[in-house]
Amino acid sequence: MSRLKETAERLVEVARDAGADDAIAEVIDSSTDQIRFSNSMIDTSNFWREVHAHVFVAVDGRTISSDVRDLKGAPSTVRELVRMAKLTPVNEGYRGIASGRFKYRRTRTDPRMLSLRNPARFVHDAIGSALENGAVDVGGTLFVRRGRWGIASSKGALAEDGNASMDLSVRAFTQPEASGQAVCVTTTVSKMKAMDTGARAADLAVKAKDPVQGEEGKVDLVMEPLIMGSMTGHSASMASALAVELGMSMYAKKIGKRVASEDVTIIDDPSMGSMTRRTFDHEGMPTRKNIVIKDGMLKSYLHNTSTARRFKTRSTANAGPMIAGQFTTPNEPVVFHTVLKPGEWKLDEIIEDTKNGLYLNNTWYTRFQNSSTGDFSTIPRDALLLIRNGEIVSSVKNIRVSDNMLRFWKSVDAVSRTVEEVFWWGEADPGHLPAARARKINITRSS
Amino acid sequence: MIDEDVAEHMLDLATAKGPLVLAEVRLETSDRRNMTVKQGEVHSVSTSSDAGMNVRIVLDTGIGFASTNSISKSSGAVLVRKALGLAKAGKRKRKVKLSREKAVTADWKVPQKRPLRDVSDEERMSYLNSLDAAVMDSGSKVQGRYFDIADGEVERLLLNSEGTRVRSQVPIIRMFSFNMVSSKGQSEQSFREWGSTGGWERIDGWGAAPALSEEIRVLKDLIDHGKAVKPGSYDLLCGPEVAGIAAHESCGHPMEADRILGREMSQAGKSFVKPDMLGEVIGSKHATVIDDPTVPGSYGYYEYDQEGVRAKPRFLYRKGVINEFLHNRETAGALGSKSNGSSRSEVYSKEPITRMANTFVAPGDQGEDELVQSVRDGVYMKSFTEWNIDDKRYNQKYVSREAYFVKGGRIAGPARGCVLEITTPRFWKSLDGVSDKVEFVAAECGKGDPIQGMEVLTGGPMLRLRGVHLK
Repeated sequence: MSRLKETAERLVEVARDAGADDAIAEVIDSSTDQIRFSNSMIDTSNFWREVHAHVFVAVDGRTISSDVRDLKGAPSTVRELVRMAKLTPVNEGYRGIASGRFKYRRTRTDPRMLSLRNPARFVHDAIGSALENGAVDVGGTLFVRRGRWGIASSKGALAEDGNASMDLSVRAFTQPEASGQAVCVTTTVSKMKAMDTGARAADLAVKAKDPVQGEEGKVDLVMEPLIMGSMTGHSASMASALAVELGMSMYAKKIGKRVASEDVTIIDDPSMGSMTRRTFDHEGMPTRKNIVIKDGMLKSYLHNTSTARRFKTRSTANAGPMIAGQFTTPNEPVVFHTVLKPGEWKLDEIIEDTKNGLYLNNTWYTRFQNSSTGDFSTIPRDALLLIRNGEIVSSVKNIRVSDNMLRFWKSVDAVSRTVEEVFWWGEADPGHLPAARARKINITRSS
Repeated sequence: MIDEDVAEHMLDLATAKGPLVLAEVRLETSDRRNMTVKQGEVHSVSTSSDAGMNVRIVLDTGIGFASTNSISKSSGAVLVRKALGLAKAGKRKRKVKLSREKAVTADWKVPQKRPLRDVSDEERMSYLNSLDAAVMDSGSKVQGRYFDIADGEVERLLLNSEGTRVRSQVPIIRMFSFNMVSSKGQSEQSFREWGSTGGWERIDGWGAAPALSEEIRVLKDLIDHGKAVKPGSYDLLCGPEVAGIAAHESCGHPMEADRILGREMSQAGKSFVKPDMLGEVIGSKHATVIDDPTVPGSYGYYEYDQEGVRAKPRFLYRKGVINEFLHNRETAGALGSKSNGSSRSEVYSKEPITRMANTFVAPGDQGEDELVQSVRDGVYMKSFTEWNIDDKRYNQKYVSREAYFVKGGRIAGPARGCVLEITTPRFWKSLDGVSDKVEFVAAECGKGDPIQGMEVLTGGPMLRLRGVHLK
C-alpha cells in the first residue's frame, strides 16, 4: 500500500477508535518551484515543500476539521480533535460523507515533470523570445507543481493519486500602456512551449501599440481563452450548491432553464489530464465529468454529500478541501476544472465575422454588484484591439465591461473549435477553454 | 515555543557558503480557529496548529527563497542548500541591491485581555448567533445569513545575517458576514468585515450586531424606496467606507514601490506612478492619505516589519502631492532610498513583499453636518458593493450599497445603484472638503504570487467631491 494512503487510513482508524462516527483523512505531499520575473530578469526563485493532512471527524452530528501540519504527532492531534468535536455545537446541516465501495481511475504523471530540476531555462527562453518579437519589457511567473495525496474515510474511501504540471505566464510590454499576456499550462514537460508563449505575448503587445481611449457603448466582444477563464470561473463557481443556498448564485431556481445561448456547454471535468486533475474529491468519492450547462440549459448544481442530501439529490463528487480557506468553508462544493465545449469556428473566422467589436486578451477584477442577479463589471487588460469590418485595426485602453453575467452568456454566438488549457494568477480559473464571441456587451469608461 | 537554535544554525550554514548580500531566516508557529454559522446553525468548525520556517538568501545573482512546514536543523539545512541554489540560478545582470538598515533586537507582542485560546466554541457560536438574531430581528427576508469568525495567535522569529533578531506574538481576530436582503422580488447584497489584533475583548468595540441590524433595515428600504441617480454631474459625499476603498486602491496600491518598479507587472500590475513623480500634484490640498501600521489594536498592526525594519506612519499623498512610496529593502535599494517598514508576508511559506497596513484619508476640520449642508444637489455614497480598478490604478469604479440623495443641504431619500467611475487624479482633485472624524473598515488585501491575503484597515472621514459624474 502506498505511504500517503496508509497514513490516511491509520489516522481514520485513530479517529474511529477515539469515538468518531465519521472520519476522513487526506494526506498531502507537495513540492513547488516558482520563478518570478520582471523587467526581463528573474527577481526571485521560490521553493515550497509541505507534508500535512486534512482531517475531518464527526461525532453525534458535531463536526470539526483540522489541517494537521505535524504528521509525527498526528495520531494524538486526531484524538484531541475527536475530543474537541464532542464539545462542539451540533452541525445541523451535516448529512454525512460519501459512502460506498469506490473504484478509482488510474492516472499517470510525466516522470520528467517530477524530476525537473532547473526550470529557469524556460523562463530565459520566454524572455528571450518575447524580446526578439518586439517586446521591450517582460515579466511573468513559472510554476512547477508536484503533488501526491492519499485519502481514507470511515465510509469506504481509500485511494492515492498524484499530479504534476507546469504553468508559465508571460506579460510583454512594447510601450508603457501596450501589453500582451499569454500562458502555457501543461502536464507534460515536452509540451511546455516557453518560446511560443513569449512570442505570443509580444505579438499581442505589438498589436496593442499606441492605444487610444476606448468609447462607451454596446459592442461585440471576441474573447481569448484567457479572459474566458475569468468568465467561466466566476460563473461555474455559482453552480456550487452552497452558493445557491446562500443566495450568492445567479443560478438559483434555474435548473432546467435557459441560462446561456445554445452555443454554451460548461462542464466540470476533473477526470481529464490537466493541472487540476483529481481522481477523487475531498470526501474520497471518485470524481466524474459533470455537465453544469448543456446547450445553454442549466443541468446541475455541484454537490458534496451534505448539500446533495439537503437538495434531495446525489453528490456530484465536488466536495472541496476539508479545511477552511479564505472565505471558503470546509468541504464546500468546488469546481475542479472548467471546460467550455468547443464550437465550430476558427478564431480568424470569428474576427472576420465581426463588424464592430473588441478583441480582448485578458481581464482582472471581475466583481459582482449582486451575485444573485449576475450584475458585474470587469476590467479588460493587456491587448484590447478594435475590430472594424472583420479586421483588427487599432488598440484601445481604459475601458470596463459593465453588464450582466447571465446576459453575457446568452449573448455568446460563436465559439472557437480550438481549446487551450489556461490558468492565470487570481483571475483565470483552471480550465480547457476556447475563444468566444458575445454580442452587444456594455462598455463603460471613467469620466 | 520557537527554537532559536534552529534559526541560528541555518544562518550559520548560509553565511558559511561564501559572500552574500543577505541571509534571513523566519520561524513561525500559529494556532488558528474558525467557525461559520449559516442561517442560525453551525455550519463548520475547524482548527489548526502550524509550525514552519523559511530562508531567504540574497546574492548578487538573485534571490532564493525556500520554506517547509517543519522546524528542525535537518530541514533547515535542506532549505539553505535549496535557497542558495535558487539565488545562484537567477543569473541577474543587474545586481540585487538592498537598502542599508540598522540591525535591531526586539521582542514585541500585542496584549490580550481575554486570550483567544480561552474562548470556547460555544462562546463563538453564541456570538455569531447574536449577529444572526440581529439580522432576523429586522423582520426582513434575508437569505445567506452567513457569519464566519476566525482567530488565532501567530508567533514569529526573524534573524538575519546583519545581526537583526526580532520576536513577535500577534493574536488576531476577524469576522466576516454575508447577507442578501430581498423584497418585492428584488435583492441587495451585503458583505461586511470586522477585524482587530488583540484578544476576544476586541469584538466589543466592533458593534457588529447593531451595524448589521441597521444594514438590513437600510437595504430593505433601498429596495422599497430607492431611486436611480439620473446620470450627470453632482457633488458627491463619500462615507468613511468609500473614502477607505479609494485610499487603499487609488493611493496605497499605486504607491507600492514594487509595482512602480514593475516587480508585480504580470500579476497585480504596474502603477501609473513612476519613480520620478515624487513631488508631483495628484490631488487637492485636502488629499492627504496615510498608511500607518502603528494604530494600536488595528487589524494591520505591527511594530517591526518582516525584514526587521521599525514600522512608522507613511504619508503617501500629502496635501495633494505624491509624497512617499511604500518600500521594503529591495525596492528602497533599487531607488536609493530607505525602507519605511512595509515588508509583510501572510505566512512563513510566502516571500515578504511591499504591503499596506492601515490606509486612510487624513481628517480635516469640518463636521459631517457641515459637509452635508454644503451640498445643494448631490449624492451621499455611504458604502459600496461592486468595485474594481485597473492594474495601473488609474480607472476605478464604486457602486453604492447605501446611498442617499442630498437636496438643499439635507439628506433626502435613498439612491440605488449609484455608480462613480472616475480616474485617480480626477477623484483626488475633486476633493474639496474633509470631515474631522475617521472611521475604519477591516479588509483582506490580495497581492503577490501566490496571492497573499493580508489583514488591513481602510478608512477615512467623510469626503466631499465637487462636480463629479455619477450614473
